[in-house]
Formats: sequence, C-alpha cells, structure tokens
Amino acid sequence: MSFLRSTLTVKLMRDFWRLRSQAVAIALVIAAGVGTMVMAVGLIGSMSATRDTYYDQYRFADMFAPLVRAPETLMAKIRMLPGVAAADSRITTRATLDLPLVMEPVTARVHSLPAASPSALNRLVLRAGRYPNPRHPEEVVANEAFVRAAGLPLGARMKAVLYGKQVDLRLVGAVLSPEYVYALAPGQIFPDNRRSAVLWMDREPLAAALNLNQAFNDVVIRLSPGEGGKEVERRLDILLAPYGGAGAYPRAQQISDRFVTNEIDQLTTMATLMPPIFLLVAAFLLNIVLSRLVDTEREVIGLLKAFGFPVRAIMLHYIVLAILLSLGGLALGIALGAWLGRGMAGIYQNFFTFPFLRFRIDATAYLVALAATLVPVMLGAATAVWRAARLAPADAMRPEAPADYSGVAVTRLAAALGPDEPSRIIIRGLLRRPIRSVLAILGLAAATMLYVASMSPNGSMDRMIDLGFSRADRSDLAVAFAEPRDAHAFHELERIPGILNVQPFRTVGARIRSRHHEVRDGLVGVEQRGDLSRVVDIEGRTSEAPPVGVMLSGRTARILDVGVGDLVEALVTEGERPALRMRVTAILDSPFGGAATLDRAILNQAMREGDVLSGAYLQVDKAALPQVYARLKASPMIAGVTAREATLRTIGETIEENFSIQTYFYTGLAMLVVVGVIYNSARISLSERARDLASLRVLGFRRGEVAFILLGEQAVLVLVSLPFGIWAGIELWRFLIGQFNTELFTIPFFVDPRVPAQGVLVVAIAAAATAFLVRRRVDRLDLVRALKTRE
Amino acid sequence: MSRLASQADGEPEAIFRVDGLTKVYGEGESAVHALRGVDLVARQGAMIVLLGPSGSGKSTLLNILGGLDHASAGHVWFHGNDVTAFGDDALTEYRRRSVGFVFQFYNLVASLTARENVSLITEISDNPMDPAEALALVGLEARLDHFPAQLSGGEQQRVAIARAIAKRPEVLLCDEPTGALDSQTGTRVLAALDTVNREFGTTTFIITHNAVIADMADEVLLFGDGRITGQRHNQVRAAPLGLSW
Repeated sequence: MSFLRSTLTVKLMRDFWRLRSQAVAIALVIAAGVGTMVMAVGLIGSMSATRDTYYDQYRFADMFAPLVRAPETLMAKIRMLPGVAAADSRITTRATLDLPLVMEPVTARVHSLPAASPSALNRLVLRAGRYPNPRHPEEVVANEAFVRAAGLPLGARMKAVLYGKQVDLRLVGAVLSPEYVYALAPGQIFPDNRRSAVLWMDREPLAAALNLNQAFNDVVIRLSPGEGGKEVERRLDILLAPYGGAGAYPRAQQISDRFVTNEIDQLTTMATLMPPIFLLVAAFLLNIVLSRLVDTEREVIGLLKAFGFPVRAIMLHYIVLAILLSLGGLALGIALGAWLGRGMAGIYQNFFTFPFLRFRIDATAYLVALAATLVPVMLGAATAVWRAARLAPADAMRPEAPADYSGVAVTRLAAALGPDEPSRIIIRGLLRRPIRSVLAILGLAAATMLYVASMSPNGSMDRMIDLGFSRADRSDLAVAFAEPRDAHAFHELERIPGILNVQPFRTVGARIRSRHHEVRDGLVGVEQRGDLSRVVDIEGRTSEAPPVGVMLSGRTARILDVGVGDLVEALVTEGERPALRMRVTAILDSPFGGAATLDRAILNQAMREGDVLSGAYLQVDKAALPQVYARLKASPMIAGVTAREATLRTIGETIEENFSIQTYFYTGLAMLVVVGVIYNSARISLSERARDLASLRVLGFRRGEVAFILLGEQAVLVLVSLPFGIWAGIELWRFLIGQFNTELFTIPFFVDPRVPAQGVLVVAIAAAATAFLVRRRVDRLDLVRALKTRE
Repeated sequence: MSRLASQADGEPEAIFRVDGLTKVYGEGESAVHALRGVDLVARQGAMIVLLGPSGSGKSTLLNILGGLDHASAGHVWFHGNDVTAFGDDALTEYRRRSVGFVFQFYNLVASLTARENVSLITEISDNPMDPAEALALVGLEARLDHFPAQLSGGEQQRVAIARAIAKRPEVLLCDEPTGALDSQTGTRVLAALDTVNREFGTTTFIITHNAVIADMADEVLLFGDGRITGQRHNQVRAAPLGLSW
C-alpha cells in the first residue's frame, strides 16, 4: 500500500509539473491577493503598534482644551476632575516667520515646551541639537519636517511676529511630537512643511509675549485608564467657560491623530476589499484547472477505484495537488507583501512623521495569509474533488459521452448570433458552460474594476483641486489675523502697494448642535458676490451664501440630521460666547467648504460686533509679490499667510511622490488577473478542443483560422467583461470615496473618461500578450494524433 | 514500381507519383522505420484500399500523401508538384483545396449540427457543394439539423464523409473509416464512399485491417513492415452493400 501510495505521489508530482505554466498563472493571482493582504495587515499592525507605542512612550494627551486665559491655579481643579489622570497647562499661539530661503511668510504654531519631567504630556523626541536653554529666551526647537524642508541649519536665526510683536528666534533643535505626526496647518489638505512650522519655546518668554504670566491658554489631559472622556469633557467645558474655553475635544478629533487613524481605516478597507477579489479569481482558476484534470483522468480514477484505492486517497490526491498549485502563490504573496509593505512603510514614514516605523509581519499576518490561501484552494478544489469521488469505477472507465449541444436556446441563439460556423463554435462553447463563462467574465471584470477604481482617485483629486483652487479660491494669498479686527485692518491691507483686491472673511469657533448631534467646526462669514473666494459646490456650480440663515455642508447636515428649514444652534466659543439659533436655508457640498457658511454681515450682527473680519483673501500684482510678502511678514496683526500657488505646488508634489507609484502597482495587479484568467481559460479550452482544432487543421483550416476559434472565445469573454468591469469600477470608487472624505475636504465623485479607456487598454494588452502565448500552442497542435485518438 | 490502375501507355492520368518514400521516426538505435522506400503511381479516380497489419506503414503513407507529415526521404508528386518539398503553409493550402479526410473517430465538432459541420468546410472552399446536397449524397437529408450527440456512429461517419467531399476534393483519404462501426453500419458508410468515388471521380484511399473491404476497390495494396508487399487489381468492384464481416 505504501508503494502504491508513493506511486500516487509520483503521479501527483508529475501532474504538478505538467500543469506548471498554469500553476504559475494561478500563483500570480494568489500572490496578488496574499500580497495585498500581507501588506495591508502588516501595515495595519505596524502602524497601530507604532502609533500606540509612540503615544504611550511620549504620553500623548487624550483630551485637549484650548481657552483664552486662565490662572495657573485653576490647574489644581482640573487635575482633581474625576477621570483625569494627568493634566498639563501650556501656552499655544500662532506666529509668522520670515525665513531667508522661503519667499512666502511661514505660518507657525507655537507651544510652550512640555516640562522636562518624564511625567509631562506630549513629550518631544529630540532628533537633532538640544532643547532651549531657559536663560536664552530666543531659543526654539522646531518640528524636524519643517527644519528639513526649509533647509534650516541648527543655530539659524528667524525673524518672527509673535502675538503682534517682532521677535528674533534661534533654532537650536529639531524634534518630533506625537501631536504632529501629520502636521497639517489650518487651511491645508496636505502638510506643507516648507511654509508651515511648529515651534516649541521656553514657557517664560512665551508667557511674557502673550501676557500670560502665571496663566495658560491651553490644557492637555491624560485620562485614567478605562475613562471614556465624555464626562471629563463636560466638566472641563463648565470649568473653563468663564476663562474663554473654546470647548474640550478628545484625541479622536485631534487632526493629526484623525489622519493617522483614517489611514489605518483605509488600509483595513483595502485589506478586506482587495484580497477577496484576487482570491476568488484564484479559486475559479483552480476550479477550472482541476475540473479539467479530473475530466481527462476519468479512466485513471476509475482504474484506481477498481484496484481498490479508497475514495479518501483519491480525494486527498487532488486536494494535495490544489494545495501544491497554490503554495507558490502563498510564498510569492508573502514575499511580495513584505516587500510592498516595507516600501509603503517608507512612504508612510515620510508622510507621517513617526520616530520609528518598522514594518514587521507578525504571526497573525502569516496565519491570515495561510487561511486566505486555503480559501481558494478549498473553494476551487471542492467540485472537482467531489466529482472525482463520486465517479463509479465502471462509469469512469467508459469514455465520457460526447457533449450534447442540442439545447434549443443555445442552438437558436448561436445560430442567430454567429455569422459563420467558427463563430457558432465559439458562442456554443461559451453558452454550454454558462457558469464557467460567467465566472471568467466576472474575473476579467474584476481586473477592469480594480484598475478603474484604483486609478479614479487621481482624477477626482485633480477635480477637487480644480474646484477648490481654480473655481472657489481664486485669490493669490489668504491672510489670517491673530485676532479678529475691524474695518481698519481691511483698509490697511488695501493700502499695501501691490494688493489689488481684498475680500474679507470672518470665522468664529463654534459648536453647532441639533438635538443630541454636534459638530465642532466654525461658522464662516463670507462676502456676497465676492470674486476672490466663491462658494462652489461639488459639481462646480458657483453659489452664494444665503441672504438669510445658514448654509450647511452636506456632511454637517447628515451628522446633525437636519434639512433645509430646520433650526440649528451654534454655541460660539469666543467673544461674548453667544448661543445663536439659525435656520438652515441651504445645504451644499463643496470640496473644501466649512461646516456652516453664512453672510458675513449676518454673522457680524449675530456676534453683536461691527464690521469685523478674521482675515482676507488678497489679489496681488505678481510683480509686487516680494514687497507684499515683506509687508505681511512684518505686520503685527497677521498670524498666517497661505499662498494659493505654493499650496497647489505642495499638493502636486505630495500626489506625485505618494500616489504615482500606485499607478504601476494597480496596473500590474489588474494585468496579473487578466493573464491568470485568460491563460488558464484558454489552456483549458485548448485542452478540451485540441482534437477539434487539430481536425480542422487537417481539413485545411489555416493556423490563424483555428486560433480564431480558440482565442475568439477569450476575446468574447474579455469584451463582455469590459462594460461590467467599468461599471463595477465606477461604483467601487463611489463607495470608496466615502471612506476618503473628511471634514477637511470632500472629494467630488468624478471618473476621468481616460481612466476606463486606459483600463480597457491595460486589459487588452494583457489579454493579447496571453493570447500570443497560447497561440503558439495552437500552432504546435499534433495533427496526426487527431486522426487516431478518440476523445 | 507499383503501377496502380495505370494505363499501359502511361498516359498522364496519374494523380500521385511516389518515389522511394522513406519515413524514420527517432534516431540511432531507437529509430523506427515506418516506411522503407515506397514507390507507387495512383491513377485519377481510382478506389484504392491499403491493407495490412498495425505498424505496417499504411497510416504513415496516408499522412504523407495528405500533407500531414513530412517524409524522411523520397518524393510525393501530386499533379507533378512535389508535396514533400512544401512548407507548412503550402501544405495547409494543399489540404484545404485538394484533400478530403475521413477519420476513424469521425472528429465532428460537437457544438455544430450536421449541416453546420459541413458548412464549416464549404465556407473556406472555392467551389463547394451545398451542404444539404452533400449530406443527401450520404443519405442524411433527414438529419441536417441534428447535433453529433444525436446521431449514431454510422451517421456521424457519413456526416464526416459529406464534410470531406463537400468541397469537391480530388483526393479522399480515409483512415479506418469503419474501424469503430459494426458490419451493417460500416457497409453503409462504404456505400457512401463508393458513391462519391463513382459520381465525382474522387481518387479515394481507404486504410483498413479488414480484408473484405478490399473487394470494393479498383486496386489493393498490401502493406508489411514499411513496404508494399503485394498488390492486386480487381477487374470488378464489389458493391459495398453486399459486403459483410
């Protein structure tokens, strides 16, 4: 028995060797599935572990509470709040920097340094240089990304306008902070590290500059383990309200953490969405290969059974073969996943500034990969193995009856569709195995879908940028004031030589509420018929702030669960802190729009203030730009400047750096699927048809005419799959877009018509290349054997 | 040289002339000599039966005559053209225009009806018969729209004959056409071949193990060990329907 068993093993190995080229095609598809899975699972694990360790080691706060000014003595009360494990006060402000190498003014957020104690919160990671010496008030450390991007050497001096005062600062160190893993400046969608900085300086000089001696304007809090935070938040808001508290918010709403978490969520979507596509295609391929093998080995199976081999041994034989056929894919997939993961980790470390990000695949990822590979093996092998098991020895040893094509529908349809006999052969062949044809179409459609869905983000991003920066924001510069200003500031800007046009805006921090729903985002007061900054919806239509009431973004309206005509309440967190009741008069999705937009005059009135603005959009004479920058850099009222062109450039560079690689990646993956499906499907078809095709060659058909029958079948499958693939790709992108959107931006749903066209091209190229490989086999058909053998 | 049914004065009615045809498979000690120098002349319109045991070289000769295999040495002249010098494309054209094949196992396309199996060939021919006409010739006028799976073995083989003759080939090569059929069905298939040969003057080669079939031929070639070991000329061809085995 052991001899026989080992003979069966010899057969197994020979079968495997015979199927090697098909095994390669299957392995590639499995590798794509396992690879994307290992990469995503590995990255999710690595990113989560890195984030958690980083946050933990450097005691990243769980809650943040900005305010206007409170005496240091209040900290004792805050620390006493139930659920608060630790609380640190600090001073936070904004500044503009004038750097020799950067033409535009650099916008900086400035924090007081955390205490040097290990129990301090939001501790920094010193990457270069040293911390400021308390005896040298001008010394600062800055976030490493900025130091690098701005090309600043340690010891560099910077002119700064800090709370309206001109100061000289000196860079002594480069740091990382868990608070700025993703250092996004206000008004940006990608970090612009050259033009926005985060600085930390000794608390005393900062307090002196802001008149906050023995006082603070920002609190960071660590919660006790197991503490949800809701109650702490509520009590904190009550406690800080008299001190101008702008509302405490949890880490989940902190911008950097949100982006990191969002990225992990997207990876999770990818890990759950992509691999199944590949693995199901692989299951289908394994199924057709094994089914065909069982068909051709009917007599062998019958013989083995007649000789007394147990059914179990025969089933095992084919299961082991299926496993062998997929092992290569598993190994390749793990290697591919590790390689891609390492590459992606590198990109992430550029994008998110972690002090360390080691890509490692833990045991879970391997187990998941193994399980994920077993799924197609089992799915694919099941029917074939079952057929082999069920074959009665006597039946099995009789050759299979000729295929019956006499089904009425099939006959008529093929006769109607096929202009000639070869086309009828193709059509009847496809219709006779409807399940296999449909699965092949689905597999091929998956390739097109994958391509269209993964290449559409670029077009949508371009469109978002076009909407945001060509149609909505047409200014050259946007300036934000350190504090709200009256109309004098407006005129002051107007008087700067080179500034051609000024369009003011007013932003007010607020919590917008409806029943128990709340959105923490400001109210934006805009000018009617403003030309520099316009309200533009996601379709590109320009609009205006409503003459009465408030216009909500679609996202805000959904969160608040309100529609046009409903009332919302805005609890303003600055100034007199009024609670405003406003009617929703419009709902509009715009790419970069704020949560709530209204007419500036209405907002001024509601705030019981005069003609007040928070900043302005500027149109500048290009020739005068350097002079304008010089004036803005020196202006004490200005806390931030964004140049539209520079922002656009940064976005372009970021997309180029981080997203161009994905083009090749997804093109490659789509091609793998096409090659896998076409190659196996054509090889199986060739195996089934070899005798027919050879007979036709004997009867005088030319090589091309015979190849037409075989490859025409594949061509029909590809053609039918394309519209489904394009449709599915567009729908998948529609689904994914929801995952990408944040409160900062709404990506418009848009599919560049070139993307489906390119998808068709990619699929066609992969299909043609595969057809070429198979065609060579058609050319080598053994004509003499066709005369002698029966099917 | 075997002069098959040739006129004594050697008038140019020979369709095939075969000179010293040799076929060796493999090399060295494992070489198999399938044909060891065959010479023959085949007269146009003859019905020729090749008789002999397995491995005697009948099929190899037929394959080379039909342009399916290359000779190791020697020549096959078809109307004065050296078929052995043809490249693959020329051989395809030769098969397409001049040769009809009938296989032992019919080799019909399962997904096409009887009529469509015939049309398959008439579509690529210059001056074909109507497929229905070809099928009527083999007695299948009532089975035009049946698929192979719905036909008996004998019917399938007659469809194959109709397919082979519908393009009006000059030569019909039949390798064991009745090998898979019983006597009664087999004789009907032979009758169809006989009709084609008589009505269209198609030179017909039939390979068989079955000595009885030789009675319906003009000429009988006996094969053994890669050579023609004997030949016979029937003054009167027996009617196929009268044969039995």
